[in-house]
Amino acid sequence: MDIRLKFVQTVQAVLARSGHGGSLPGTIALKMDPHFLEKFRMPPVVVLVTGTNGKTTTQNLIAGALREAGLKTINNHRGDNLNVGIASLLAANADSNFRIQADAAVVEVDELTVYRQFHNLKPNVMVVNNFFRDQLDRAGEMETIIRKIQEVTEDFEGDLVLNGDDPNVCRIADTAKKARVHFFSVGRQKESRGETDEASEGKFCPHCGRRLKYEYYQYSHIGRFTCECGFGKIEPDVLVDSIDYRNQTFTCGGKTYHSFLNTIYAVYNCAAVLCVMKVLGLNPDNANEIFKTLVLKEGRNEVFQLNKPCVINLIKNPTGSNETMKFITSQPGDKNLCILLNDNDQDGHDVSWIWDAHFERLNVPEIKTIVCSGLRAYDMALRLKYEGLEDRIIVIEDPHEAVKWLKEQDLESHIMATYTALHSTRAILRKESVHGA
Amino acid sequence: MELKILWMYHDLMDLYGDKGNTQVLKIRAEKRGIDVTVDTCTIGEKKDISAYDLFFMGGGADNEQGLIYQDLLSRKDNIAKAMEEKTAFLLICGGYQLFGKYYKAQDGNVIDGLGFFDYYTEASDRDHRCIGNIALETEMDGETFKAVGFENHGGQTKNVSSPFGRVLSGHGNTFKGGFEGFMNDQVAATYMHGPLLPKNPKIADKIILRALKKRYGHVELEPLDDTLENSARDVMLKRLGVL
Repeated sequence: MDIRLKFVQTVQAVLARSGHGGSLPGTIALKMDPHFLEKFRMPPVVVLVTGTNGKTTTQNLIAGALREAGLKTINNHRGDNLNVGIASLLAANADSNFRIQADAAVVEVDELTVYRQFHNLKPNVMVVNNFFRDQLDRAGEMETIIRKIQEVTEDFEGDLVLNGDDPNVCRIADTAKKARVHFFSVGRQKESRGETDEASEGKFCPHCGRRLKYEYYQYSHIGRFTCECGFGKIEPDVLVDSIDYRNQTFTCGGKTYHSFLNTIYAVYNCAAVLCVMKVLGLNPDNANEIFKTLVLKEGRNEVFQLNKPCVINLIKNPTGSNETMKFITSQPGDKNLCILLNDNDQDGHDVSWIWDAHFERLNVPEIKTIVCSGLRAYDMALRLKYEGLEDRIIVIEDPHEAVKWLKEQDLESHIMATYTALHSTRAILRKESVHGA
Repeated sequence: MELKILWMYHDLMDLYGDKGNTQVLKIRAEKRGIDVTVDTCTIGEKKDISAYDLFFMGGGADNEQGLIYQDLLSRKDNIAKAMEEKTAFLLICGGYQLFGKYYKAQDGNVIDGLGFFDYYTEASDRDHRCIGNIALETEMDGETFKAVGFENHGGQTKNVSSPFGRVLSGHGNTFKGGFEGFMNDQVAATYMHGPLLPKNPKIADKIILRALKKRYGHVELEPLDDTLENSARDVMLKRLGVL
């Protein structure tokens, strides 16, 4: 019985009753006891999920699939992936002796702090999705992130589930000599391309320094790469054969699955989940149930009803933005767009990444007006001006006024918002929604 | 008139949206009726640098910088010829560093620079990384104005004879240094990302004029509507308290 744990749990219970969740209990716990996280006795199955894009969706899918398979599972479902969020999750689900009251824990961990969380969480499965350029001012260079993850996995004796189509993720297998390595991969589709203007990373072989050769690209630098020296010759444990975008399905190992979202990156998330199911010896049908029923929320293609539907997406780096723009422009019909660009701590102070993203993709006739909003609204407007969108941009710095403007137009709309703009804008959207969604 | 730009190591030295600079130069020149060519050049590629009016090189991660520096050094004579023939240079971050004497990494490893100028760069410890929004005042070709950007560099550049600008807010060449970048009448070199040119249209136009000077001598550029550009810059100047 630990008095501090008891206190944190009491705070948590009080907050929960008044409808507040979040990281506050974890913040208190770590203030009182910096070693708080080391004390938990983790359940038999611990899946750690990290990478740049798609962590929250992937871990929610894995947790859902484990629940379908009958395991009592906890997860940081909102994506609170820093130490305070993880401390809150564990405290809320522990008995008075720090024992986690579940069969499984699926924990998303920020890729920059994995090296601090890894030994506390004692994972038996670790999933790495992808590495893209993200918040360079906070993260430093990607090389540093990869090296740190390589360091913690050097002695890892569990199962490593890696995206076999990302050279920077594949590198982790090199140094994790004690782990059982499993790759997931997506085969060539008719949409795959021989060339790309999206790849910034993974140009050179980490073994020999030669330029990597790509048979095809799926998106960004994700695709089938090889090197003369042998790097990239993988045997995937889970290989998606074909994607049917018309029916929103894909086939893998002779079975057909539903994809929760009709995009290539969603199929990669599904492949990661199927790989985890295989590693744990669980029936993949349980995963398919979640693929069918998952309702994306909290800024992942979340739909609000202004006078017309308004879809909001989180954007935080060039790759995520590119994929969101592909999705928006693939939707039929005229629409307005609002881009909310903030530069608070969690967004990253450096907004230069918008120049690495392909905003020229918005130059389609269906997009009527683009409202630039947020703390760096003018930076966004300028970015679009240099893609020839000058006549279609307006600047409304205040996000609430921007949403009201969208509502008045009586046209479908999409919002792309950076992290700190997302939650406040969702609150505004709830307020402005006709059914109070 | 035509303007030939060489974008050096476009595929390797392309951190922090530096590619936006070429976009801005191209579009601002084209709006003045100038024919613009942007060629790229990467490792092992044959290009006569001296045939261009403007040489642009951005910043890269340590890894990438390690990959390109020998290729860059092998082009030293060709770059010297370009300098003699009055090609204009815009160098950001890594590009800036490599035109100096040397770069000394934290592990003590020294990478030789091209040595065109007397400045040199030494890596700092983690606590002295220069990172954040920056504002400075620059005097460029007879005009004084303010500029904004984002700096993010561990390297401390010393022994700069003529800086690009005086820091109004931020660090500059060294941690809390007071002066930023290097400039003479042909070369503008700076740590400012952002990218540099979109929010600083005056710098963009000065660079275009410097490049055109090589073949056309003194040229006038008709003014453009820079309302958005100025608003974006002023938002930051205001936030930094130096508007």
